Amino acid sequence: MNELPRKTQGLGDEALAMARPKYVGKAVQRLEDPRLLTGAGRYVADIRLDRMVHAAFLRSDQAHARISAMDCDAARAMPGVIGVFTAEDFADIPVISAPSRMRDYRATKCTVLAADKVRYVGEPVAVVIARDRYIAEDALALIEVDWEPLDVAADAESAAHSNAPLLHEELGTNILFERVFETGSADDEMAAAPHRVSGRFRIHRKTPLAIEPRSYVAEPDRANDGLTLHGSTQVPGIIRDILSGLLDLPGNRIRVVAPDVGGGFGGKGSLYPEEIAVCALARKLARPVKWVSDRSEDLCSTSQGFDETIEAELGFADDGTLIALKGQVTGDVGAYSIYPWTAALEPVQVVSFLPGPYRIPHYRGEVKGVATPKPPTGPYRGVGRPASVFVTERLIDMAAAHLGIDPAEMRRRNLVSETEFPYRIGSGIVWDRSGFAECLDEACSRVGYEGLRRLQQEARAAGRWFGIGIATYAELTGIGSRISVAPGMPINTGTETASIRIDSTGAVTATFAVASHGQSLETTLAQIVAEELGVRPEDVRVVHGDSGATSHGTGTYASRSAVLGGGAAIVTSRVLRDKIRRVASHLLEAAAEDIETGDGRVFVTGTDKSMSFAEVAHAVYSDMKALPADAREILEASESFDPVTGTTTTATHIATVEIDPETFAVKIGRYLVAEDCGRMINPLVVDGQVHGGVAQGIGAALLEELSYDRTGQLLTGSLADYTVPTAVEVPHIDVVHLETELPGNPGGFRGMGEGGTIGAPAAIANAISDALSPLGVGVTELPVTPERLFRLVSEARNKTDTEK
Amino acid sequence: MKPAPFEYVRAASVREAIALLDHDDAKIIAGGQSLVPMMNFRLAQPERIVDINAIAELSGIREDGSDIVIGSLVRHAEAMRSPLLARHFPVIAEAMHHVAHLAIRNRGTIGGSLVHADPSAEWPLLVALLDGEIVAEGPDGCRTVKADEFFVAPLVTEIDETEILVAVRFPKPAPGAGMAFDEVARRAGDFAVASAGALVSVEDGVMREVRVALGGVGDGPVRATAVEEELTGRVADKVSISDTVELACEGLEPETDIHASAEYRLSLVPVLVRRVLERAVLRAGAGAA
Amino acid sequence: MSARVDITMTLNGEEIVETVEPRMLLSDFLRDRLGLTGTHVGCEHGVCGACTIRLNGVTARSCLTFAVQADGARIETVEHLGTVSSLGRIQQAFRKHHALQCGFCTPGFLMTVQEMLETLPLDTDEEIRDALSGNICRCTGYEHIVRAVRELADEREGAAA
Repeated sequence: MNELPRKTQGLGDEALAMARPKYVGKAVQRLEDPRLLTGAGRYVADIRLDRMVHAAFLRSDQAHARISAMDCDAARAMPGVIGVFTAEDFADIPVISAPSRMRDYRATKCTVLAADKVRYVGEPVAVVIARDRYIAEDALALIEVDWEPLDVAADAESAAHSNAPLLHEELGTNILFERVFETGSADDEMAAAPHRVSGRFRIHRKTPLAIEPRSYVAEPDRANDGLTLHGSTQVPGIIRDILSGLLDLPGNRIRVVAPDVGGGFGGKGSLYPEEIAVCALARKLARPVKWVSDRSEDLCSTSQGFDETIEAELGFADDGTLIALKGQVTGDVGAYSIYPWTAALEPVQVVSFLPGPYRIPHYRGEVKGVATPKPPTGPYRGVGRPASVFVTERLIDMAAAHLGIDPAEMRRRNLVSETEFPYRIGSGIVWDRSGFAECLDEACSRVGYEGLRRLQQEARAAGRWFGIGIATYAELTGIGSRISVAPGMPINTGTETASIRIDSTGAVTATFAVASHGQSLETTLAQIVAEELGVRPEDVRVVHGDSGATSHGTGTYASRSAVLGGGAAIVTSRVLRDKIRRVASHLLEAAAEDIETGDGRVFVTGTDKSMSFAEVAHAVYSDMKALPADAREILEASESFDPVTGTTTTATHIATVEIDPETFAVKIGRYLVAEDCGRMINPLVVDGQVHGGVAQGIGAALLEELSYDRTGQLLTGSLADYTVPTAVEVPHIDVVHLETELPGNPGGFRGMGEGGTIGAPAAIANAISDALSPLGVGVTELPVTPERLFRLVSEARNKTDTEK
Repeated sequence: MKPAPFEYVRAASVREAIALLDHDDAKIIAGGQSLVPMMNFRLAQPERIVDINAIAELSGIREDGSDIVIGSLVRHAEAMRSPLLARHFPVIAEAMHHVAHLAIRNRGTIGGSLVHADPSAEWPLLVALLDGEIVAEGPDGCRTVKADEFFVAPLVTEIDETEILVAVRFPKPAPGAGMAFDEVARRAGDFAVASAGALVSVEDGVMREVRVALGGVGDGPVRATAVEEELTGRVADKVSISDTVELACEGLEPETDIHASAEYRLSLVPVLVRRVLERAVLRAGAGAA
Repeated sequence: MSARVDITMTLNGEEIVETVEPRMLLSDFLRDRLGLTGTHVGCEHGVCGACTIRLNGVTARSCLTFAVQADGARIETVEHLGTVSSLGRIQQAFRKHHALQCGFCTPGFLMTVQEMLETLPLDTDEEIRDALSGNICRCTGYEHIVRAVRELADEREGAAA
């Protein structure tokens, strides 16, 4: 038997069996599953309240137009309609604007409903409240709007022109922000570099597409002149705080609750006009108002993501050493700068992460965001990094091909190495020690990289298009108070608080401001609390996603909840456990230092003296003879945790693809991820997050694209046209976990919810480019559909024919 | 996405259904897998829905002399599993595998698919390939329409608003005929970007009867008659086939949409034609291929 | 027009008698009229599969069926598969393999898997993936769902042998 950890020495046998570590790191079955598997979950759309009425929004079918007149009389007269409301009915609500301290940033102004003009197809212009949704939609058809169409510059390039039609006249430009990052002298060094590769890369707009569409029920509290918003949101704390201002209600009269939420992926992480509208109308009508987005609305009103053009160039030496990187990012950010993240979130992340996990001494990155007549962009899983990793990893492969160096070796030569951490990349981001090289090596070894290269040679000899793609990347997760999640954003996203209490029955309730919407936090946070406090996970009830239960806290996004929520769980549990030990020292007549806890019991180490949590609670709260008055500590603790900076998560993805040379169908063969997310709380949950992230990355790489025509009309308005991966398009995925040096937070956790989506587009783009390399073409545009492959290959073939 | 109001009537017989269709804006519902999405998007707002699901005479797959007759209410899943169809037209099960997904195949019907007449759908192609005849019944009785007359334009057929598609009649092919179907789609179960079917009879190593049908590249299913004529009488091998497949593109003018350009669609035609012809030849003479 | 219609159906083994407007979708009928909110609505055009139920023994999209069409039908929903305190076999396998995250698509998957196990050979994982392809999950990447179904299919073969 191995030597026991020091901590457990001297415990009695019974106590030994209950010692830590016990739950953290184990594949504990999820506590939320029984209700979700039996249809007993409670999503917002499931909520039915007395006197509840239903909202339906009339949305603009114009991309850019003035509203010259609107006639709602026929709709109002329809039986079953309670009211029809337009912008003027919300005139007392302040204009929504997302502020930022960022220089050269121009905030947009957005009203709950479009007042004088509309700026994208799908923008809400009127809302009908009716007895049921069917009638509400009938009434929408009776509203007549006279539009005065305005000129449309539907893409970022044309909208950035000085003579382009302006979406927000008061700004004098469609460019909402511009920013430059520079380290060293990239221009000179690039010019002097012995070798250069470059490209113009394009990633097309996506929608997060949670399967549960956004839904809200606003429930007025007539007795207290208050309001509860039940919302499918990732950020109940942020929504509560902003609504408090917009509706002029103190936080103790407005409560935002996210019950079971059916996925978010960033799309439920911002403030939306609809949630303000239902709140205002519930107060006006003094009855509950429900709005459930239908899929059609979801595709044109939920925040979108990943819409950039990136021109980039990489300079390097004969031996492959990277010298300089330059990038120019143009983000198509949509019509409004979204609250609270701003329109800068996605494009600035692209330029910030372009240097990747590599040693590149000279960097110049420029970014601008251009307002276009499309729905606002916001966070979508991976935020910016799927694009930056796509570009950088393509350039690395192009450089490797240029020098005739194997792509894996090219990376090995340039990854920031163990001794160089902490390492500041050219954009200013600092990487902490994380298994950059270890993940690459482990991925190559597990996938049998050399063997795959041999297979490729055989395949090529047989005329098959077989490719292998690598993507190595790093991301900043679990961001603390020193760094802003979005540039210059004036809200604090760097801390989280836990409140844990043991009630008079001895039961444990742990309350967090994070908001699980599939991440399994009810289980993983319970595992942590159980571990630290000395109970079983199933004994811990985790309360989350309820702004009424916490003083502050924002929610779940940006791969933060394991690090911040988990960290808060640990520090709070430890304070509470110390209380338990102090109280128990009186009850068990032992020194507090000699007291251990485990499986819901309290022990004196080295003895058989013990009692249950319930008995301790009884002594504290109910049996007033058990303890001296000054030893009766309330069994509650509330602590905040701030990781200050963030943690560095890294991974290498390796994919193989085979392309049908005749139909251009792409089939993914192997897919392996080797990742370092620090200590795992629950390996099943980590695997699940990786799998799901990879599937979305596959969508981004091969399938998903929101298409708009030149007039700003959405061409992919259904799930038959916006194509997300099914089980057939996603291959079997292998995941390998590495734990190098643990980060300096209490649990040793790194965030990992987004990584799959960050690595997959690049790995697949590189695999396809590798398969096509004999033709001399590579992927520069995602998604790389069969249509795009057809054109790419046809152009290559025509070029060859012309040269002959 | 809620449908507009309508009146609902359930017909117990074809005659009753025809009588109920005598209304300004009536629409038949069978599986509803194309109609109801259109109604939910309010792209279709019929005033009256005539439900024909309870009409027994529209069900079933049966042998009728030299024909196989498929009732219009036969679901895709039922056609896929039918031993009778497997014996005479194994290509039907092969094609049905590409029709959407389990739950849709359980509900969607052959009649619904044909009257919906999506040029990329599988049933229209099969009817063209297998020389099917559509049997429609209206106030004036029954009539039979051949495939090349039935499909008028995308989503438009020869069938009149007062008529009901009651069955499809397929002549049994020559014994030992080989058949194959293939398509290119964005994802499993999506509508085809392009599709092809082939039927080949081989005698003494020579192709006697050759039929090739294409989907997704025209206003409706298209027979590649130039290929059929050229290959009839040729040696049943890969060389004959590859020499000929480019002819399948003759006269085609496919559409460009968000999923595929006309050029890409056209490039798929010879590829798919070659693949289905080669497979059909392999299967020819092999009994129930 | 659109006069309300009386309907009777057997729902999860219980006889239900209700009056509905013809246009009411079966999904809305189950959820809003009967309070059986386990059947979820994700797209209302038949693509996502979240609303999948069993209609006369076979899976169907409840968003593409009018409640009035279910008059006389037998319907089963996710509520019929098990309870929180006594999960059904498919539910247990999903829990064991972490085959659900947000849980929104899950009821539709469970109904589909039930039919798959009853009707398909499921010899290979490709076949499992193909049969699952009418249900979209945005969380799991399907890997753990495939593993759960694999276990159930193998178990079924074991029981048959």
